[in-house]
Amino acid sequence: MSTVLTDAAPGAPRPARTGRPGGRTRRPRPWSVYLATGTALFFLVAVAAPGVLDTTDPLALNLSQALQAPGPGHWFGTDEAGRDLWSRVVHGARPSLAIGAGASAVSLSLAVVLGSLAALGGRVVGPAVDRLVEVLFSFPSLLLALLLVALLGPSALTQAVAVGVGTAPGYARMVRGQVLSARGSAYVEAAVALGHSPARILRRHVLPNALRPLVAIMALSIGQSIVWASSLSFLGLGVAPPSSEWGALLEAGRPYVAHAWWLTVVPGLVIVALALAATTLGNHLQSLLERRES
Amino acid sequence: MLRRLLGAALVLWGAATVAFAAQVALPGDRATIIFNIRAGQPIERTPEELAAINAQYGFQLPVLQQYLDYLSGLVRGDLGNSYQQFRPVTAIIGEQLGATLVLTASAIALAWLLTVLWVTATAGRGRRTSGFGAAVDTVSAGLPHYWLGVVLLLVFALELRWVPVISDGSATGLLLPALTLAVPLAGFMGQATRTEFERSLAQPFVLTARMRGMSDLGVRVRHVLRHSALPAVTLSGWALGATISGAVVVETVFTRAGIGRVLVTAVNNQDLPIVTGVVVLVAALYVVANLLVDAAHVLIDPRLAKGTTS
Amino acid sequence: MPARPRRTLTAGLAALLLTGCAGSAAAPRPAPDARPVPGGTIVYGHQQEPACVFGGWIEQAYLSTQVLDALTSLDTDRQVVPWLATSWETSADGLTWTFHLKDGVRFTDGSELTAAVVAHNFDHWMDGGNSTAKVWLDGYYDRATAVDDLTLQVHLSKPYPRLAENLAQGYTGIQSQEALETRTAEQNCEQPVGSGAFVVDHWDRGEQIVLRRNEDYTSPPANARHTGPAYVERVVWRFVADATTRVASLRAGETDAVYDVPAIDYGGLEDDGYEMFRYITGGRPQQLAFNTQQGPFTDERVRKAFAHSLDRRSLVETIGQGVIPYEGNGAVSQSTPGYSEEAAEAYDLDLERADRLLDEAGWTGRDVDGVRTKDGERLEVVLPYNSGTIVNADGASILQGVQEQAKATGFAVDLVTVPPSGFFSGLYTQPEERDIAAGYWTSVTAGILWINWRPISEEWPNGNNAAFTTDEFLGDLIDRANQTADVEEQNALYRQAQEHIADHALSIGLYDRLSTLAVTPALKDVWQENAQGGPVFYDAHFVR
Repeated sequence: MSTVLTDAAPGAPRPARTGRPGGRTRRPRPWSVYLATGTALFFLVAVAAPGVLDTTDPLALNLSQALQAPGPGHWFGTDEAGRDLWSRVVHGARPSLAIGAGASAVSLSLAVVLGSLAALGGRVVGPAVDRLVEVLFSFPSLLLALLLVALLGPSALTQAVAVGVGTAPGYARMVRGQVLSARGSAYVEAAVALGHSPARILRRHVLPNALRPLVAIMALSIGQSIVWASSLSFLGLGVAPPSSEWGALLEAGRPYVAHAWWLTVVPGLVIVALALAATTLGNHLQSLLERRES
Repeated sequence: MLRRLLGAALVLWGAATVAFAAQVALPGDRATIIFNIRAGQPIERTPEELAAINAQYGFQLPVLQQYLDYLSGLVRGDLGNSYQQFRPVTAIIGEQLGATLVLTASAIALAWLLTVLWVTATAGRGRRTSGFGAAVDTVSAGLPHYWLGVVLLLVFALELRWVPVISDGSATGLLLPALTLAVPLAGFMGQATRTEFERSLAQPFVLTARMRGMSDLGVRVRHVLRHSALPAVTLSGWALGATISGAVVVETVFTRAGIGRVLVTAVNNQDLPIVTGVVVLVAALYVVANLLVDAAHVLIDPRLAKGTTS
Repeated sequence: MPARPRRTLTAGLAALLLTGCAGSAAAPRPAPDARPVPGGTIVYGHQQEPACVFGGWIEQAYLSTQVLDALTSLDTDRQVVPWLATSWETSADGLTWTFHLKDGVRFTDGSELTAAVVAHNFDHWMDGGNSTAKVWLDGYYDRATAVDDLTLQVHLSKPYPRLAENLAQGYTGIQSQEALETRTAEQNCEQPVGSGAFVVDHWDRGEQIVLRRNEDYTSPPANARHTGPAYVERVVWRFVADATTRVASLRAGETDAVYDVPAIDYGGLEDDGYEMFRYITGGRPQQLAFNTQQGPFTDERVRKAFAHSLDRRSLVETIGQGVIPYEGNGAVSQSTPGYSEEAAEAYDLDLERADRLLDEAGWTGRDVDGVRTKDGERLEVVLPYNSGTIVNADGASILQGVQEQAKATGFAVDLVTVPPSGFFSGLYTQPEERDIAAGYWTSVTAGILWINWRPISEEWPNGNNAAFTTDEFLGDLIDRANQTADVEEQNALYRQAQEHIADHALSIGLYDRLSTLAVTPALKDVWQENAQGGPVFYDAHFVR
């Protein structure tokens, strides 16, 4: 998926948020941050307490109400068995976000381990891990996901692991770069000159500085993981229906695309909205962090 | 140079090994799967029924022996025969590769076109325009391929009928699939290029050019674009190698032939010689794309020739 | 290209959002005085690409029928009529069948059709050349011999009076022995050599198979509408996996005929003037077979309770848009000879009865989710299905409906989608892995019962017995039916077997599998063969 591109692209510089022409700091665009915060809050409520937003059973059949267009009573319309789409979207937040967060966790943990090893592993381990990351990189992420699904069977867990492993190499490179630059920085040299032990330098100086940007990356990565995971559902490799996971909803609606556009368009918009909110918040967080550093 | 080739070979070997390991690790007896798919009925088979298949593909041999046979075939350029199509994998991949490469190449070209036009037009033009430009970048980058594809198909092929419903070999048939891959890619390249572009606009040489009386458009196209294109070059090189994931979705949505469809079918059928073949192919593409990107970097910024970045 | 005015983008989007219905327009009609024109190319959109032209899948049978002739054919009343065999007779003991072959038939590689070649084909299928053909002949077939050039004898170990009907399926298409013996597996996979109306010109993998007219064709089946070569020059068999795209391609004029019309599009296409074909395949319908070896369904009362929990008819009729026929009979579909109405009506929605049956069976407790319990065990049942190949999108929705309806009486149905690879690797084939098996199996006679219900024994396992029954009484009933020559008597026995299956709730039906076809009005005389409903393009021609 190209949605993982920026982070997964070898050596591609992350769009820097500081250093605008003339040296002025880019002012955050508050409206977009507010909008993103609002969206994120809405989804968090849907995850924590879907009952607040919707009281109907997302799986309840209502055969006499099948394929109703959006309107009063069914704000997002109904599907072929009369299930309410609004209710399904709300209840789908939990599995969707769980998969997204799980995938990010898998991806970033792997990335920190691989990236640190590559940067600090010395002459033998370092290049070996480098090669491993390279091999993972050359392996199409979707194929990796396909194989994992075949290996473990389709489930939310498989989906999270597949997406996590697929996106890890990109982050691993980023971590490697951060660790290397932190190690080469003046304060580390100073610490070395002061005779601190390597372990202490690593713990106190290198890792904290190298990993700080990952907080922001985490937000970005959750958004991307959800898009990614929903692609797997779309290919029939995700959570089994009748789960309301958004990708599964979208795939279930596809046969009706010419008759009931809402079944495809609505879940798609929800996924895009969440990914955008996560990206915006991630970028904002990143620029805040960078400003504090400078 | 030798080092680099050796590295490439290592990557190929690694990818091939991962693929082989995966096929050994997959659940289920391989001969049973082959038999059941040929028969179309998923049931348990007796050893007598499976004997012929086991013998034909050497499944009863020790795994190490199978691995060595597989590697030696690979070195000779023999990827084996498909279990279900009874044909050499090289032939299957060969006939599908063209369609996918055409799709990817046009998508990358289209993405470049979109990025250059959009960034040149909107970057560094005051807060409102720049902000809008950046927002469009972010939105496009966040669009999932499958959804964009389905919506484009719905509007332009099913409803407006501007392009054929089934993507044929023609240029109009290629338009929607290429656009589906290009829009998110353009979003990414836009994000990466825009910052560089705005930074370059503030560089002294821009001021010099302006003082020489060069038009704004001239400055943007002749000087700034060149300086800000590096990240986008890197991205498109990556896209060339890693396009397979996007191709799987796009080829499914638009009913196009290509490597992506072959891959999904092969994974579903556990037609493993094809799966490993595609893995090796993609790894090779990745290696080639990396070399191309390096070359392009040097072309754009000769200072890099001496640099150590890879 | 469509002759409708082009709308602007905004108008198009607005229309889309308002009506929610894309691409509906009357079919391009030929003029009333349009006359048949010879030649031309039919572009036919099919949903699935097989690995080979000939094989054990229904997809392959459809293709094989274009390229290979079979010994017999079925007419519209599903009565067997001559094809490559002009006549046949059975010995008094029913063990020897004699087929008289058509004279002067040549395969497209120039070799001649002889009794010896046909005998070789029988052995080829039995040796693994076609596993579906084999499963039909297994247990009955002994050997085939050539009496002379045009007289074939098939010797059986047990009588099988409906043999001629079963030989009409695409799985038993006759191929050139020379081609089978001298060419590679790849060649026989891609371009099997038969004596059919078309030959495989070439295969663009991932895209289409191009069939070319056999100019020397002399052997159409007795129920064809003309003789001599086919009218059209070429048939392009395009693979269009997505149903929406398939229908849209027909409306856009990119295809002339499409297979497997989704239920939701059926009525609209019919109203717009497309010629619609709907064939209910015989054999096992899409049904649910209960595991009688292990788990809660070993108790007959629990099986019956499950059946009474469901309103299968409303479910199928709503999701199937009134196009997909509801099928109550779990043994055979309504189009199968010897179908039992009584078996079909055995279970309707009756929640009270279902609750009572479950109480009697000891499932009296309820946990927090409302799922019934017995001695601390939840009434949880596993229903695996293979999405895409065996169960299509409509079917998957119906299964979700089953899951939801069964909740009411306290069943927790665990719907498991199995990816094709896992499915074919034999996952969920064991009694300890699943409680309900969903699936269908097309056939021309109720003889399918023997395949699906032959009792399992140590010596002779039967992987196709999805309920894992060891019921000798049922097996004997079916075996006797299969060997009964008199049709009325045979059907009575088949009905008895279906009622036995229904009485003990071994399997319940859901819906009948359809072979649907939509054809553009300018293409005439396409018909569906009557073994499995595949399209026949031999008589088809365009009018202008």
